[in-house]
Amino acid sequence: MKRTVQTLLIALTALLGSSLWAQTPPNVLVVGQIAEPQSLDPHAVTAVNDFRILVNIYDGLVRYEDGTLNVEPSLAESWEISDDGIHYTFNLRQGVSFHDGSPFNAEAVVFNFERMLNEDHPYHDTGPFPLAFYFGEVASVEALSEYQVRFTLSEPFAPFLSNLAYPTGLIISPEAVREHGQDVGRNPSGTGAYQFEEWRANARVVVSRNSDYWDGAPELEAVVFRPITDANTRVAEMLSGGIDMMVEVPPDNVATFADAGDFQLYEQAGPHLWFLILNLKEAPFDDKRVRQAVNYAIDKEALVNDVLQGTATVATGPTPPAFGWAYNEDLEPYPYNPDRARELLAEAGAEGAEITFYVTEGGSGMLDPISMGTAIQADLAAVGLRVRIETYEWNTFLGLVNPGLEGKADMAQMAWMTNDPDTLPFLALRTEAWPEQGGFNSGYYSNTTVDDLLNRARTSTDQDERAALYREMQEIVYDDAPWAFIANWQQNAVATDRVQNFRLQPSFLLLLHDVSKQ
Amino acid sequence: MTTTAVSTPIIPKRSGRAGPLKLLFRNQLAAFGLIMLLLILLLVLITPWLPLPDPDATALSKRLLPIFSEGHWLGTDQLGRDMLSRILWGTRVSLAVGITATLVAASIGSLIGLLAGYFGGYLDGTLMRGIDMLMAFPYILLALAIVAVLGPGLMNALYAIAIVNIPFFARNVRGVVVTLRNREFVDAARLSGKGDVRILVSEILPNVMPVIVITMSTTVGWMILETAGLSFLGLGAQPPQADLGSILGEGRRLIINAPHVATIPGLVIFILVMSINLLGDGVRDALDPRLKAGALHRPAARTKAMPEAKAAVVGQQKGLLEVRALRTEFHVGHEIHQAVNSPSFHIEPGECLGIIGESGSGKSVTAMSLLGLVASPPGVIMAGQVIYKNENLAGVSDERLRQLRGGELAYIFQDPLSTLHPLFTVGDQLVEAMRAHQRLSYRDAWQKAVQLLEQVRIPNAKERAKVYPHQLSGGMRQRVSIAMALANEPQLIIADEPTTALDVTVQAQILRLLNQLRREQNASLMFITHDFGVVAEMCDRVAVMYAGELVEIGPVKELLENPAHPYTRRLIACVPDVTKVQPQLTEIPGLPPQVNNLPVGCKFADRCDQVTDRCRQAPVELEALTDERQARCIFAREVL
Amino acid sequence: MNSSIWPYIGKRLLLMFPVLLGLTVIVFFIMALIPGDPALAILGAFATPENVAQLNTQLGLDKTIVEQYFTWLGNVLQGDFGRSYRQNRAVLDIVTERFNATLILAGTALVLCSIFGILVGIISAIRQYGWTDKILTFVVLIGISTPAFWLGLLLIMLFAVQLRWLPASGMYAVYGGGDLLDLIRHLILPASTLAFIATGVIARLTRASMLEVLRQDYIRTARAKGLSEHRVVYRHAFKAALVSIVPVIGIQAGFVLGGAVYIETVFQWPGIGSMLVNAISTRDLLLVQGGVLFVAAAYVVFNLIADVVQVLLDPRVTS
Repeated sequence: MKRTVQTLLIALTALLGSSLWAQTPPNVLVVGQIAEPQSLDPHAVTAVNDFRILVNIYDGLVRYEDGTLNVEPSLAESWEISDDGIHYTFNLRQGVSFHDGSPFNAEAVVFNFERMLNEDHPYHDTGPFPLAFYFGEVASVEALSEYQVRFTLSEPFAPFLSNLAYPTGLIISPEAVREHGQDVGRNPSGTGAYQFEEWRANARVVVSRNSDYWDGAPELEAVVFRPITDANTRVAEMLSGGIDMMVEVPPDNVATFADAGDFQLYEQAGPHLWFLILNLKEAPFDDKRVRQAVNYAIDKEALVNDVLQGTATVATGPTPPAFGWAYNEDLEPYPYNPDRARELLAEAGAEGAEITFYVTEGGSGMLDPISMGTAIQADLAAVGLRVRIETYEWNTFLGLVNPGLEGKADMAQMAWMTNDPDTLPFLALRTEAWPEQGGFNSGYYSNTTVDDLLNRARTSTDQDERAALYREMQEIVYDDAPWAFIANWQQNAVATDRVQNFRLQPSFLLLLHDVSKQ
Repeated sequence: MTTTAVSTPIIPKRSGRAGPLKLLFRNQLAAFGLIMLLLILLLVLITPWLPLPDPDATALSKRLLPIFSEGHWLGTDQLGRDMLSRILWGTRVSLAVGITATLVAASIGSLIGLLAGYFGGYLDGTLMRGIDMLMAFPYILLALAIVAVLGPGLMNALYAIAIVNIPFFARNVRGVVVTLRNREFVDAARLSGKGDVRILVSEILPNVMPVIVITMSTTVGWMILETAGLSFLGLGAQPPQADLGSILGEGRRLIINAPHVATIPGLVIFILVMSINLLGDGVRDALDPRLKAGALHRPAARTKAMPEAKAAVVGQQKGLLEVRALRTEFHVGHEIHQAVNSPSFHIEPGECLGIIGESGSGKSVTAMSLLGLVASPPGVIMAGQVIYKNENLAGVSDERLRQLRGGELAYIFQDPLSTLHPLFTVGDQLVEAMRAHQRLSYRDAWQKAVQLLEQVRIPNAKERAKVYPHQLSGGMRQRVSIAMALANEPQLIIADEPTTALDVTVQAQILRLLNQLRREQNASLMFITHDFGVVAEMCDRVAVMYAGELVEIGPVKELLENPAHPYTRRLIACVPDVTKVQPQLTEIPGLPPQVNNLPVGCKFADRCDQVTDRCRQAPVELEALTDERQARCIFAREVL
Repeated sequence: MNSSIWPYIGKRLLLMFPVLLGLTVIVFFIMALIPGDPALAILGAFATPENVAQLNTQLGLDKTIVEQYFTWLGNVLQGDFGRSYRQNRAVLDIVTERFNATLILAGTALVLCSIFGILVGIISAIRQYGWTDKILTFVVLIGISTPAFWLGLLLIMLFAVQLRWLPASGMYAVYGGGDLLDLIRHLILPASTLAFIATGVIARLTRASMLEVLRQDYIRTARAKGLSEHRVVYRHAFKAALVSIVPVIGIQAGFVLGGAVYIETVFQWPGIGSMLVNAISTRDLLLVQGGVLFVAAAYVVFNLIADVVQVLLDPRVTS
């Protein structure tokens, strides 16, 4: 009996006494992710969560310059664009090899884009490739020599380089695709700063230092990505020392970390917009005055400062300020003015209108949708609009919203994170982007001037000209108010103060190449 | 089970036992739960009239106020809404959903259970396989999938929860209906031409109601938790309306920096469900038919004895074992049943003493009282002494009592099917009996057990030792009981109607065997029976008991020839005599008096054909007629 | 061992198939009714109706639900559970990996709740209506009355964040670790939470069964034989009570497997429950199908084991 007690005590001490274990290992960075990656095949995924791992394993031909959304060389050392904006010729970096040992060359680049875009390619069935439309304008890709590759576009497409820098443009080892087929997403091989080691389902993805990295080997020995879907648990792990870094800190916990002392909080504005889609096909939002009334009635300051605890700023129009060159500085956000809202509603005869409001429980970039939805409901109630909320889990929500709101709802939450000022308005505000035509204009906004401006901006190769066109577009859309513009997210992250040389990127990507840990 | 009435005292079904409500209140935890629940219900019912802020009114500037803030006792949530108001309104919603879901599940589940259980066969098979499928589906996932199909909303969550809980009702109800299906009253109803529907509604349903109520009482709390769970996952109430689960779900993100927003709804859910469960547990205790039979209490290792009954022995003991004015009572509720009313007798070494009487005469209770085997509660030994080797057995230590039980003093009980442990082999049970008293290895004990079985004439004893009681016939089982009683060479065997449960031919064999073996071992035998024929065959002396009293005692021969008490005469008349042609078997008219309401005078007066006024006026004393005979009748001497 | 037990097990195993088969039909049917489709989940926010239709053809989802079902069934009978739409990985790989984690968690919880439930039940029965009984009853009912997810959160806050005794979540240390000690450290909180919640039912049932058994005639016989009270309670009464406790433990297995969903979410346990919740929301039909089949089979097998144990305990059942 006595011995059993003794053994038990020893076991207990072993279990509890080793609480030092809670500390993460030296020179290994443990990152708390919001979910398990869907796949580590860069062409197969869509979520920012997955991109955060991918950009550390793979490189693209080009990448975003540190701290901006401007494009700089990566695997391509230089490039030329033909004057008509149709031909892009890239000169590739030499002597780079994939983690599996196979060489990086023009053939590899051709393989990557053919796999994604050419339905007859032998490895096209390793898809699906949901973001292939980023390169929809690519007509052909050819290897001109071992280290030179040329893209031919079907029409001029201004965002092309920016899209190449997006994770969908990352280059995967053709050897790995051939070897693993459909399972390549779990056996990734790129040219990046870290190479893939292990993926334990719902437990961790481990990547280790690529000592031969062409841009200089990273200091960290390894990075561990832990999926922790529950925000509370993520915060608890951070507080208890189980992880070194977490992204997407819940607004209300930002202060917790700021006060705790041992943590460093990072913030960075990015091209994000949180808005309400209004259904223009049906009353009451077929009337511009009612749409403007909604924009006036919502207290956006209170939303970003109180509900979101300053982790976002008030949005002005359809283009986030992070696209500095394309952003229209002259516009001011719709002020909070319930009286004006009431006037407009009275003019439009829409007092007491009933509104069905689709709210989601969470989802990419949706911040705190239920609290925000409820607060908006209360604001609208204050000006006499009777709002009925229906909440849906994210995938169901998309299934309801993307095919269009007609006959179902008057208003729906939505958020986008993009890499180019073209993407969001092109996909969600043009007449040709109505759902039945395969776009995301779920509220059926239609303005021929806007359509024209957007088409011109996308084919122009001159950034100043594009900027002018986008600014004009913003003014029109601001006044037409097809959406209620609510917030631009300031993405955030928190790390222990042992983590050095880290900064967040406006691209929302998590670059860990230069990071070290004491 | 009808025979157990003979070996255990008859406890009146209704009068003594407290009603369910009373029982509930005797259980303090359940009463506490009930009071808590009533308080919550009251609070929730008057909520609309309480001076509370609008639960949906947001005030972002006043968000996350801590508890005891001015104007907000329980603080505010992430949108600045008053927590107290939201909690109260939320509790209303949660309770309503929980109760409604329970009712829906109970109705559908019970219906399925009734149909499956009553009709059986193919319908039963199909329905129950369906229920199996529902049960095999992880319940939360099923609920999730149903909500995903129906869309979000409190009503849909309610349906999901109800569907998920149907199996519990269906299974429980079916289980009971199957046992009722072929009972006499159902057959009778069928014969009287009632249709299936009417039988189900009027005969079966009332009998399964307790099961439904018990299942409901245990599921309501569970349902509330489950609804909270779904709301927690965001599938229940739609904002701004809130039930406790969605308040908790929305608040849990804030558990680190504003713990009250998640802690308070969690606590309220806990208190609400806890009070329901405490009450439900009490309801189950009060309604469960299994617990009902035991009057809710577990029997102690030995019968409770009052200090008076534990007093040291005074004077010289008579015979091998002497009983002096033993009084055993059953205390049920506030009523007292005087089962044994001060009989005194003794038994000589090697003697066989018969104790005879009808059911309820106290003879078995007397026998059980000797070694404290009367179930207690409700049994209490109030006074008197049981003297063995100059020790009062009611006063000896537990260990001494244990040594005597099955050692020098052994019992044989009535129904060997219920008195042998069904899950141990007979050999095992014999071994155990020996090893409780002798230092023996298991192997040696087993060999002795086989010898014992041979001794009681069980053929092929070696193999039979390995079988379970249910695999033996009644006669064989009783032989095992006898073997067990003989295992430790007892001084006295107390046999409580050992052959009543057996058929007549087997009875005779067993009696002969018992008598022969105890003579071989020179053990005394106390033989309890209601059959004077058996007494005549087995016993040296006999004690007649009526209403807990000794009414006559003396040598068997003398009593048979010349009974002094009218009751003795009646008992003798009941014996079928093959030598005489009898027109019919005489039965004693009337019933023995209720032991909780005994008359002052002669207890037999109401059934006696010689009764006079004098008989009823005062207690009749036991009178010594000769050295060896005593009787309790004012006419006893006249008869002699 | 009773030789008549084998045909019984065989019969029960055969009965398992129609139940599981029916279950797969139900799952397919329910999943077909859920609005939204897997293509959408794969394509995420960028799903246009056009892309969705194209992907559906690629995945074979444009066929009728009946056709899809029989294709699936045919494949399963050949050991092919298909590929997860979303993870693009063999369902069997995902499910087995996750299932092990759930078995460790649910199995440990089941063992813990059985041991504690039975112990508490026995003590409660012996001390019926005494203070020990009341306190134990109260504690045990706390478990039944507490929202699992809430309790889990509170425990994390206390033991991981405040005291830093145990890890807050996960199954193994993030780096290194991976041995048994590591697993146990991670298992303590989730398994005890789950067990605490499931203990109540077993404890209450044990108490009721013990009380019932303790008034049986054979218990009086055991006392009349001169057995010690300890032996009467723990050998004679307990064995008889166990006969009615064991099937309930089987049913509790279902409860524990189900309750694991919340616990897995809160403690980030890489189990099958949290995976299934995800798979349902992403309409990952084949993954749901495969996962549910495994969980249901586990439940059925747990019950079968319980029944077999019951038969072994009680020789009366088979004869």
